Amino acid sequence: MGTPGGDLIRVMAAGDRDAFARFYDRYAPFVFPFVLRIVRDRADAADVLQDVFWEAWRGAAAYDSARGTPEAWIITRARTRAIDRVRAVRRRGETFVAAVDEATVGAPTPPGGDAAVRAEERQLVASALAQLSEAQREIIELAYYSGLTQREIAERLAQPLGTVKTRIRLALARLREAVTPT
Amino acid sequence: MSHEPFETLAAVYAAGALDGDDLVQFEAHLPGCAECQAAVREAQDTLARAMLSARPQTPLPAVREALVRRVERTRGAGRRAWLTWAAATAVVAAVAAGFTATWVAVRYEARLGQMARETAAVKERLTRNEAALQEQVALYRGAVELLRDPATRVVDLRGQGTAASASGRMIWNDAGGGHLFVAGLPPAPAGKTYALWTISGGTPRAAGLFGVDASGRSAHRIAPEVARGAVGVFAVTLEPEGGTPAPTGPIVLASK
Repeated sequence: MGTPGGDLIRVMAAGDRDAFARFYDRYAPFVFPFVLRIVRDRADAADVLQDVFWEAWRGAAAYDSARGTPEAWIITRARTRAIDRVRAVRRRGETFVAAVDEATVGAPTPPGGDAAVRAEERQLVASALAQLSEAQREIIELAYYSGLTQREIAERLAQPLGTVKTRIRLALARLREAVTPT
Repeated sequence: MSHEPFETLAAVYAAGALDGDDLVQFEAHLPGCAECQAAVREAQDTLARAMLSARPQTPLPAVREALVRRVERTRGAGRRAWLTWAAATAVVAAVAAGFTATWVAVRYEARLGQMARETAAVKERLTRNEAALQEQVALYRGAVELLRDPATRVVDLRGQGTAASASGRMIWNDAGGGHLFVAGLPPAPAGKTYALWTISGGTPRAAGLFGVDASGRSAHRIAPEVARGAVGVFAVTLEPEGGTPAPTGPIVLASK
């Protein structure tokens, strides 16, 4: 998916709406499950998706192929927006904690979200991430999906900070092999 | 410092997990290091490819439609002359907008909170109602099951004394227990409750306590364990709350 995506962004930057539609059709079906995986709510995921592609349209002129692939450009943006959304939702929950806590939060939301979301998680596991060991996948998920920092991960996994850093590096190296066509 | 540690930091940075001093140090190092820039680029691309390798899923068409509409609206309105003087008033507008936005945000948050509370209340009420209905259905189902058994008897109870206008009907099975349905019984006074007795061979046996609703009705289930042997007479008395081992109060309902 190398250059064609980059070409689309360049044409988009010139104001070509059809290029935007093609760009959306090309990437949205991949960005959507990724965002959904982070925010775990279809309505939220649709909102985030719209924000991400709207920003892509507005920011197309600033895209620099020397600084990254189109895939990294859109996914990095999607990750930031999705994690922002999760944090905003959490803050909102905390603001009204007294009212919402007992009845809404405490009650019937199963830990893994609804069945559809769980099915999507399984699909994602069937992707390149499946090539990682359980421990490597966990650390990538904590960092990339949950947005935890190295210190937070170290605390969560009760491991030394140095170990966490090394594990992230090794997991990325393994992932790189998995996504590199042989 | 050797360059090796930076290669690890580049990976953590690309995964979005770098923090603290490491982050400060790495961000100071990055602009001058082509090697690290390449490492970050590559790691980000790796992550993107991995994330995009999942099975695609087309989002709702509404998202695409909304975006396309939005894109069509904005383009063309780009560089117009009025934008020049509009810029002059923009500062004033921005300040006003800032206030408005804050106000709207506060209102919005408050409204959201209210809606969340209302939703929670409705949910709770529905859950309660559903539980009550389920209980009632279970009760009626039990009664119907009991009626299917040829050994089941239906016994009428008549109001006695001050409760002469009350009536009751007992569906009874010597092996399976029973259901008592009562109507027209005044609510028990404070500190009192109604007690059902099964009497066989002149000996009353406690068969549970029950109250009535505001309309004087009640449905009371008698567990199979209580049904031990043939029952001759059913009676309901008014007893102190908590019940008594043997009837002490006035009889309000009795079978013949």
